Amino acid sequence: MKRNGYLRNIADVCLTTFDGMAVTFSHLLRRPSTIQYPDRIPIRVQDTLPFRYRGILEVDVEICTGCLACERACPIDCIAIDAEKDKQTREMVLRRFDIDMAKCMYCGLCSEPCPTGAIHHTPEFEGADFSLESLVRHFVTAPVSAYKVKKTGETDPALLDLLDRGTRYVDEFASPETKAPAPAEKPALAKAAG
Amino acid sequence: MSLTGFELEVQRAGSAGLETEEMTLNMGPQHPSTHGVLRFVIKADGEVMREAIPDVGYLHRSIEKISEKVGYHGFMPYTDRVDYVAAMFCNQGWSMACEKLGGIEVPKRGEYCRVIAAELNRISSHLLFVGTMILDIGAMTPFFLAFQEREKINDLLEELCGARLTYNYMRIGGVAWDLPPNYAERVLAFLEHFERALDEHNDLISYNKIFVERLANIAAVTPEVAINYNLVGPNLRASGVPYDVRRDDPYSIYRELDFDVPVGTGEVGTVGDCFDRYIMRVHEMKQSVRILRQCLKQMPDGPVIAKVPRKFKPPAGDAYIRVESARGDMGWYAVSDGTEFPYRCKIRTGSFSAMSIIDRLSPGLMIADLVALISSLDVVAPEVDR
Amino acid sequence: MQEFLDSLITQGYFAGVPRDVVYAAGMAVFAAVVVLGFVLNVSGVTTWLERRVWARMQGRCGPNRVGPQGFLQWLADGVKLFMKEDLIPAEADSRLFRLAPYIVVLGFLTAFVVIPFSSALIIADLNVGIVFVTAVTSLVVVGILMAGWASNNKWSLIGGVRAAAQIVSYEIPAGLSIMPIVLLTGTLSMQGIIAQQGWAPQNWFVFNNPFTFLAFFIFFTSALAEGNRTPFDLPEAESELVAGFVTEYTGVRYLLFFLAEWGNLYIIGAVITTLFLGGWQIPPVTDNAVLRALLEFLTFFIKSYFWVLVAMWVRATLPRVRVDQLMSVCWKYLVPLSFANLLGTAAWVVAWPQGNVVARYAMTLVGVALLYYFFQRVAFHLRRARVRERGELQFSPLS
Repeated sequence: MKRNGYLRNIADVCLTTFDGMAVTFSHLLRRPSTIQYPDRIPIRVQDTLPFRYRGILEVDVEICTGCLACERACPIDCIAIDAEKDKQTREMVLRRFDIDMAKCMYCGLCSEPCPTGAIHHTPEFEGADFSLESLVRHFVTAPVSAYKVKKTGETDPALLDLLDRGTRYVDEFASPETKAPAPAEKPALAKAAG
Repeated sequence: MSLTGFELEVQRAGSAGLETEEMTLNMGPQHPSTHGVLRFVIKADGEVMREAIPDVGYLHRSIEKISEKVGYHGFMPYTDRVDYVAAMFCNQGWSMACEKLGGIEVPKRGEYCRVIAAELNRISSHLLFVGTMILDIGAMTPFFLAFQEREKINDLLEELCGARLTYNYMRIGGVAWDLPPNYAERVLAFLEHFERALDEHNDLISYNKIFVERLANIAAVTPEVAINYNLVGPNLRASGVPYDVRRDDPYSIYRELDFDVPVGTGEVGTVGDCFDRYIMRVHEMKQSVRILRQCLKQMPDGPVIAKVPRKFKPPAGDAYIRVESARGDMGWYAVSDGTEFPYRCKIRTGSFSAMSIIDRLSPGLMIADLVALISSLDVVAPEVDR
Repeated sequence: MQEFLDSLITQGYFAGVPRDVVYAAGMAVFAAVVVLGFVLNVSGVTTWLERRVWARMQGRCGPNRVGPQGFLQWLADGVKLFMKEDLIPAEADSRLFRLAPYIVVLGFLTAFVVIPFSSALIIADLNVGIVFVTAVTSLVVVGILMAGWASNNKWSLIGGVRAAAQIVSYEIPAGLSIMPIVLLTGTLSMQGIIAQQGWAPQNWFVFNNPFTFLAFFIFFTSALAEGNRTPFDLPEAESELVAGFVTEYTGVRYLLFFLAEWGNLYIIGAVITTLFLGGWQIPPVTDNAVLRALLEFLTFFIKSYFWVLVAMWVRATLPRVRVDQLMSVCWKYLVPLSFANLLGTAAWVVAWPQGNVVARYAMTLVGVALLYYFFQRVAFHLRRARVRERGELQFSPLS
């Protein structure tokens, strides 16, 4: 009926507006969820990011084996490596390891096949700079021989640290051999879903 | 008609000799409310439109061609960029097409991981839709509130795969990372909070009379027109056609999950109007919450990725698969010629078809309604142009 | 104002000057003080406050870097706008383009002549005060139409034409909602209307009878529409028309338009306070004239600024109406309702010429009940969102 519709319209407007304004007012009384980066925060944002975060790439050249798996895997050709086998010492020598961060799309495909975890993403995301050239990261300044994975385990403590971190990073990636998830997960899963 | 310039056309109406002019307006690629770079050439008589001709291609990046250069594995991050709002579905589409080509079976746990990631992404894509649609209609607050919820989902997905928008989470044969420790707890806590936030959102705006009046009975799409114009996803279901790829042509583990598929009922106006398209997605978010809870409970142990050679060379042939993306039925067609680079990749997206229906629905609408229509169809420019 | 100048003349200042010249000069000086010292600053601060209030309602912080709590943000924005390049589109009608902002500002500044800041602080207590405000604020239509036309931009044209239709239509319910008050008081003068109210809520006109209660809401809605505020901000609908009739404006010209808009909010609040909320009336606590003036000024300011905040709050909450819905709301809902209101108030005044005490107290109770119900809903929403458990509750929006 026409009259019912007329009054109902007015009532609807008033009631829904009233309720909407109550919701907005209730938000006025809550703490905002903004993080006032970069100066009014208790800890650096980089330290709060998860371990898997795909930030700016970093290469630990000390443990790079020169296998070129990352260069082959990169879908956008942002990694440029010059590695050749030295005839005398029969070792791989790295002459150039450039990553163009302007091209990099932070996909993580390079860090997946790395045998030692030398190339990995860091939680760093602040890469802004004033020149385009500064966006190309040069990891090898003088020719250096590549790392050879020791079957008996690494003894040099500095390299061991890097290897540990690298292996931990690469182990995050799933592989077909993993049969079960980390043991910490199971009890929590049962408790949370129950 | 020509798409250049701002020509005014003079029309003489009837025998009364009353001269009226139609305005040709350019709702150009830079506009606060076209979702991404879309252009419409509008011919309007005052406020009422006669035609709205879409002009697409501003965001074309030749992604399909790039697949032929980078190979099957390398194409995965590019699929994120096909629809960056709902990137998980694109990942899933490409990996499923490659798996069909290569005859690879994904382990069960891998499928569960995929569905969890995909449904979280569906919620965040719908949140973006809801926020931007309401912003286009004029209210500002629900946009920010929706994005706050989206940030929480982004945090969850960042923990899962390391990125917040272009995830590159899935690989051919499974997913790249298993769930982190205690992940299920955090997801369930978020879902608890999110259901309440959704209720608050509905109180604030969904049934607000002004909002409802802006959307009810606008651009109602009948089921026949929807099917003829190839609408998919929530747009199709809002018109009353109960078709959802997850239920009617199931893939992955959707057979084992129990969920409803909301269908438009015209609850405030006609079936298939803008409001129905909006409320479909709100209901779908609720169903996604349901699916997520089931997944987290039912998840088995095991590997999450199958063994796939690094140089993936599927036998020559082709494969077409469909995923129910946030925007609807997304088709991925991959043609292989036996080498490690695909011969052709073709992506069929829901937004592209939705653009075509805008021209059909716009005569008689007002310019404000055009904005409501475009935003209710959930058109995202990267998907239209690829 | 006039008594103050009279007292100065009797004390011997302005010896040889004719009385009228003294009055005119005094009013001009006071007007300059009001405009430069009060209006511009209040408009500027309103922009800052609006951004902070919106931000808090949306879960963000708002500007809080420039100055303490971001208080100088509006000055920084003003300086930035002053330093922008003055662009006039090539094919635009440059004389009209340049003139438009000034007409809009003229329309809005002139209304301050009759705003009663306190019992003595009013530039000119015209005996047609309230009608003067309504008339003068209509000048902005001319300015907006000029801006829309002269920009040589179809989107601006649409915005300008929409604004003209909107403002002209909503003058009617606004004017008709003022009429019940005029019926009750028998005078159009602002000070006269305030003088007939009291300081206590039950003596305010809003609670006088159900018709003025309804007139209050109708007036607030129409005033929002006249000020181009959401839910009626189609002329500047950002998501449809880019920026509506101000699309082509930059720098100071843009600043003038928005100064007028935010200042207009204050005029709306001032008129509502005068007509419905008892104006500057304070309880008789002091005889000291200066203290009285200060307290009255503060009361008036707080009451009128509250409605500015409510307008910001409404803008944060509601979506925009479409142009035909705008017209139908005005002509099919507000105009008949305000006519009914007018007839109702006329009947009321005939039935109870001295007013009805019971009705006043009853309406005050209704108002209090509405407020109570409102805060119940707010508490419900806070409870449902588990705000206290998550440690998100705070009562100070200023942190």
